[in-house]
Amino acid sequence: MDCKQTERLLLRSFDATAEDGSRAVLEEHLAGCPGCRAMASQYGLIRSVFKNSADPGPLPYFRERVLAKLREQERVAPVRVWLTWAHAAAAFSLAALILFGAGVLLFKPQEPVELSQLETLFYRNENPLSDAAGVLDQKGAEDKGMMLIYASADLSRR
Amino acid sequence: MDEQELIRRSRQGDGEAFGQIIERYKSKMFNLAYGLIGDRSEADDLAQEVFIKAYYALPKFQFRSEFGTWLYRIAVNHVRDYLRKNKHRLDELSIDKLGETIPGASDASFEERQLTDRRRRLVQTALRRLPEKYRTILALRDMQRLPYEEISRLLAISPGTVDSRLHRARKKLKEKLAAMVGGQGGDYGL
Repeated sequence: MDCKQTERLLLRSFDATAEDGSRAVLEEHLAGCPGCRAMASQYGLIRSVFKNSADPGPLPYFRERVLAKLREQERVAPVRVWLTWAHAAAAFSLAALILFGAGVLLFKPQEPVELSQLETLFYRNENPLSDAAGVLDQKGAEDKGMMLIYASADLSRR
Repeated sequence: MDEQELIRRSRQGDGEAFGQIIERYKSKMFNLAYGLIGDRSEADDLAQEVFIKAYYALPKFQFRSEFGTWLYRIAVNHVRDYLRKNKHRLDELSIDKLGETIPGASDASFEERQLTDRRRRLVQTALRRLPEKYRTILALRDMQRLPYEEISRLLAISPGTVDSRLHRARKKLKEKLAAMVGGQGGDYGL
């Protein structure tokens, strides 16, 4: 076993994942290799620092301080909810205002369309030929002429 | 009162029940934060924040995992966020500013206690110079002594990855220490 394998096995041995056979090989290598012995000693020391250094523990009244913070947060929670709601409402109002403004700016009322006489008659559901039919039915040429004059005058009035 | 009952009552806003949960887990949460940060006051603040986060997240706890594992997950994520946000500030802390002198065993001599304290500070400084993922796994395994399976669940990595990451983390920590102590290694036995 070389020194690299020894290191791997040594680190495994800290987690008890090294097999018994491997341990014997590891110990054999360590006995004959001063470099690996020094390395094992350094790892051991680091482990002992982790193991033995007493953690100072949280500062006094830890529970009381957490519960006091929670109470404080609960107390300000309605205000926070209201503020969140107010922010959302303000944003929504602003968006609505912008949309309305854009609508007003973009919307142009249509110009009234000038209809021809014929279109006007169709629009009013009137038959443009009905007046002409009466004129054309006249027997006398004089009457017909007069009727045409009146009809055209009438149409232009409409 | 059993833990499930305490959790149910805490969900309903029972401060007394949540207080008991805090009592049960405060040391674990604090020690995890302290192992990763190395500053008592900051670790205390972080541990408090973990409990406050947990309190508001309690309705999401489905009893599918151990409560302790769930709480550890919140703590690990919270401390990781903190480390990421304060990376530069924490990197600049000197050895002397790290932690505080902790009274050792009463039968140890003054010199022994001094040496132990100095070693602890050195190891903590070296730990802080490691990438966050190595720091976390060392804190969980070598300080908190959590089993592989729990670490695997907490960090959402396979037990094989826990093993290889832990191996690399220990090697890196030793290298960092060697680089830090240099010729003075013998003074600390490191």
